[in-house]
Amino acid sequence: MMKLVPHWALEQQEFWNAIRKRNLWFIKLRYGVVILLLAFIILSISFLKIEFTSIQLTLILIITVSIFIYNLFFHYLRRFVKFDIESFNPMSVSLLQMILDLISLSLLVYYTGGIESPLYMLFVFHMIIGSLILPGAVVYTIASIFVLIFATMITLEHTGVLIHHHVNGLLDFHLYNNLYFVTAYLATFSLMIFVSVHLANGIARQLYNREKDLVDSIKKINMAEKEKQQYIMGIVHEIKTPIAAVTSYLDLILQKFLGPVDEKVEEKLLRAKTRSDEGIQMINDVLNVSKLKLYDQFNEEEIELEKLVCGVIRRRQPFADARLVTIKFIDERKNKDKLIGDRYLLDIAISNLVGNSVKYNSDGGKVEIRAKDINGTVSVEVCDDGIGIARDELPKIFSDFFRASNAKKASTEGSGLGLSVVKKIIERHNGSIIAKSPSRMAKKDQPGSCFTIELPLKREKLNK
Amino acid sequence: MATIAIIDDDPDIIEASNLVLTSKGYEVIFASNPEDGYKLVKEKKPDLIILDVMMSEPDDGFFLAQKLRREKIEIPIIMYTSVSKALGLEFAAGEMIPVDEFVEKPISPNTLVEKVEKLLQLNYKE
Repeated sequence: MMKLVPHWALEQQEFWNAIRKRNLWFIKLRYGVVILLLAFIILSISFLKIEFTSIQLTLILIITVSIFIYNLFFHYLRRFVKFDIESFNPMSVSLLQMILDLISLSLLVYYTGGIESPLYMLFVFHMIIGSLILPGAVVYTIASIFVLIFATMITLEHTGVLIHHHVNGLLDFHLYNNLYFVTAYLATFSLMIFVSVHLANGIARQLYNREKDLVDSIKKINMAEKEKQQYIMGIVHEIKTPIAAVTSYLDLILQKFLGPVDEKVEEKLLRAKTRSDEGIQMINDVLNVSKLKLYDQFNEEEIELEKLVCGVIRRRQPFADARLVTIKFIDERKNKDKLIGDRYLLDIAISNLVGNSVKYNSDGGKVEIRAKDINGTVSVEVCDDGIGIARDELPKIFSDFFRASNAKKASTEGSGLGLSVVKKIIERHNGSIIAKSPSRMAKKDQPGSCFTIELPLKREKLNK
Repeated sequence: MATIAIIDDDPDIIEASNLVLTSKGYEVIFASNPEDGYKLVKEKKPDLIILDVMMSEPDDGFFLAQKLRREKIEIPIIMYTSVSKALGLEFAAGEMIPVDEFVEKPISPNTLVEKVEKLLQLNYKE
């Protein structure tokens, strides 16, 4: 099998898709050509002064019908052609189409006057398209063969071996028997074909090379990103080890394994425990995002939303109790089908939102989690009457490391990673998240904020 | 009372676990790398092994667990890990890694005691 496909394109699904699309485009274009040819015949017979002989008319009609038939064949065939470099592939379909088109065109040119036919110009069009998609050697070969066929045809007509089909009404005199004209014509025609092929092929090759460079660059960038994520995971993991040891000691004391603890000391230790737990939570978030980026690892499991939300509330409850904040879950869903997604990641997302609502609130504050179903999606709204988000900062809150100015004042801790992680997780689930402030629970001096997650309920493949 | 071997390269984790387990009356022996840990297990034949993943060692905790099982040493193993979720190694105990339980760091003393008691009870029944 002739090598029609550039080697770098082998793994590129887009390359094959482009060829498939292009083949379909050619097929549609050819239906247009068939209609145009028929219209041209009808027009020239009924309205124009062009007179075809009956042989010309019959043969032009036969060619038109043949084009239509082989076009139908291609239209049918393309569905069964596999992207297999070794056998008959979409690229072969392109080549075959081109050869058949050139044969039809040569015959059309011959029966509409040979050298006197204006249709010969379409050769250039074919050669340019061919040069853009086929390797240089193949196109040059095709161009040479057709220039040779054309030259032979004109020479044979000139010498009288082949019958000349003159189109009366198109041209009042003969050109095919004029030696100077025929020679000049053939020379110009060959030059035009080869120069077109050369130029178009050069441009196409440059484009291919550039595309290859691009593909290589993307590969390199992806590799670098992976290395970076691995590095981050390594470092973050190293940081987690000592914090984990500290927390283990704190637990040891707080769970009274070393005997009773003074109340004042216990209170401070509890505070220390809260802070180190926060640190570990942040580390786990970073590790999870790195994991997501590094392995694109993503489970598809069935999730019961109410269980997930109740789990989040249970874990956040001690923190909320300490701040006298109440958390309420209102389930307004009619359709309680299970969601499909990564339980661990969705847990991180909802937990982050609830955690923020508790953290950026004041004593006696309220947090409401409301689940609804709207047209095949589930929306989870986490609303609070806390400090809210300034209007001009709302668009930025989902960026990495961004912390709202009032958030920094309210609480010293926070990496500014939480919401960007939440957004990434929700987008990975083909969902969306929007933030509003003030929320519907706004109080006089506290605007509050409201985050709404929408997740598709339909069981569709989440893989990219 | 049962003897428990702790194999971990973090001395603080060894001490914290030691405090928890001795307070519950267990006898605790320990080693700070897989090689010493292997010798310890062979010599002292503990009733339970607590093994850290020890990713920084050339032969890590996973390797040691497999080595012990290959030698038909069926002492229950609890594996300490702080990487399972991070690296996506989310396996149930027994799958791929021949251990009986996982405890994620930071270690909550109550959880540790619970898992130790459960495994020891299971083993005595058999």
